[in-house]
Amino acid sequence: MTSMTLTDTTNRIRALLAQDFKLDPDQLTLDARLEDLGVDSIGMAELIFNVEDEFLLKLPDVAVQLSTFGEVVQYIDDAVAAQRSAAAAPSVMGGAQTAT
Amino acid sequence: MRRVAVTGIGLVSPLGCTASEVFEAARAGRSGVRRLDIAGAHRLAAPLAATVQFDGTEHFEPPQFRLLDRVSQFAVVGARRALADARCELSDRERERAGIFLGTGMGGTLSIDDGYQTLYGENSDRIKPMMILKGMHNAPAAWIGIENGWRGPNLTYSTACSSSSVAIGEAWLRLACGTLDVAIAGGSEAPLSLGSLKAWEAMHTLASVDASDPPSSCKPFARNRSGMVLGEGAALVVLEPWERALARGAAIHGELIGYGLTTDAGHIARPSVDGQAAAMAAALAAAGIASDEVDAINAHGTGTQANDSAETAAIRRVFGARAGHIPISATKALHGHLLGAAGALEFVLSLLALRHGVALPTMHLDVPDPQCDLDYVPNAARIGAAGRTMLSNSFAFGGTNAVLALRAVG
Repeated sequence: MTSMTLTDTTNRIRALLAQDFKLDPDQLTLDARLEDLGVDSIGMAELIFNVEDEFLLKLPDVAVQLSTFGEVVQYIDDAVAAQRSAAAAPSVMGGAQTAT
Repeated sequence: MRRVAVTGIGLVSPLGCTASEVFEAARAGRSGVRRLDIAGAHRLAAPLAATVQFDGTEHFEPPQFRLLDRVSQFAVVGARRALADARCELSDRERERAGIFLGTGMGGTLSIDDGYQTLYGENSDRIKPMMILKGMHNAPAAWIGIENGWRGPNLTYSTACSSSSVAIGEAWLRLACGTLDVAIAGGSEAPLSLGSLKAWEAMHTLASVDASDPPSSCKPFARNRSGMVLGEGAALVVLEPWERALARGAAIHGELIGYGLTTDAGHIARPSVDGQAAAMAAALAAAGIASDEVDAINAHGTGTQANDSAETAAIRRVFGARAGHIPISATKALHGHLLGAAGALEFVLSLLALRHGVALPTMHLDVPDPQCDLDYVPNAARIGAAGRTMLSNSFAFGGTNAVLALRAVG
């Protein structure tokens, strides 16, 4: 991943959180704890759902243990990178798996 | 047994959102039934409903709004209005003996419908994560409890069209017995999805459109009645022991004096004269009054052939020769059938009728039915006719009959 990608991911997730949870974007530092931001496990499920739409991703339907905003950014960025790798690789499916 | 006062009214209804708006519309016979404007309405044989002009984003911030089905939005806003009307502020200790009793027939059916549309209609697996929390029947009551920090009983009743009368009655029991000190009770319903409407339509229970005047399509007790019109909204009341209300100087809207509850244990949908009559008799017994003390009745009066003739026969059985002299109001002609919130809205209208001394009209009753031969106060309110004591009837699919008895103040 590149720092450019991370910054882009950070801003897009920050915008989602600011909109859905009505958070002040300035609060959303990478070390901000999700618990302190009011994002509980149910909120995380919803964030993941909205992230899938935003990034055209399909993330696993399992609970993920993420504690900080930075960990969310990293998790999504890794997923985006993995998807790009899969898209670049030859595939019998002929392309990336995207959200429906 | 303690006396129970009604000290707060909160409304989100097709006839308005304040007690005075709703009463005035009911008194004047202004219908809240409109052409329904939802996706797929053209697929309905009768695209009609009694709708509420309501935008939830005006009442909730985004973090909470995204968790609330429309039925919960109605309930929470209704509870806010009831509590504000009652000027009811509880200490932390008092909140332990404060309970919430809510009726809903269909719960968060709009959210469920939306999820199924995704799954089956769009053939997508992307069900929104909040579907369960928005769709569950006890969400509206839970949100009222969360918002107010009330930690006593938080109960949801789902007995179809009698749900909110049951909720109010069960709250009354606890208050009267002394196990509870204050309650919010009533109902909420937001059933106007295409799926829900098509299901009701399939039962042949919905009114056909009166082409000459669509808002008058629901015609309780008329020979040309063709069924009910669904409605949405919420009605909640604050109930508390009479002495407590007096001690804190609360304005009292009326007294809830009794509650009758029976079950047909017969047919799943066909109304039972026996069950309905027994519920009215039970309400009189609970109130400790004789049948000749009842001055007026708010009927269940759905506008279906089956209900209206059965209810007429049940009233005749309970009140005998006097039945024809009791003013009977079927206000569903105007506010539609709010299913699990219907009983609560009609209870509130009964309180207001007593307070203003007005028997509310049964509108759209131009063609009398020989099988419905009582005094339904046809088409015009009757000033000075409500008296002091009323019954409010609610009868349901499933056979749960609930009747509330109420009395004017003073």
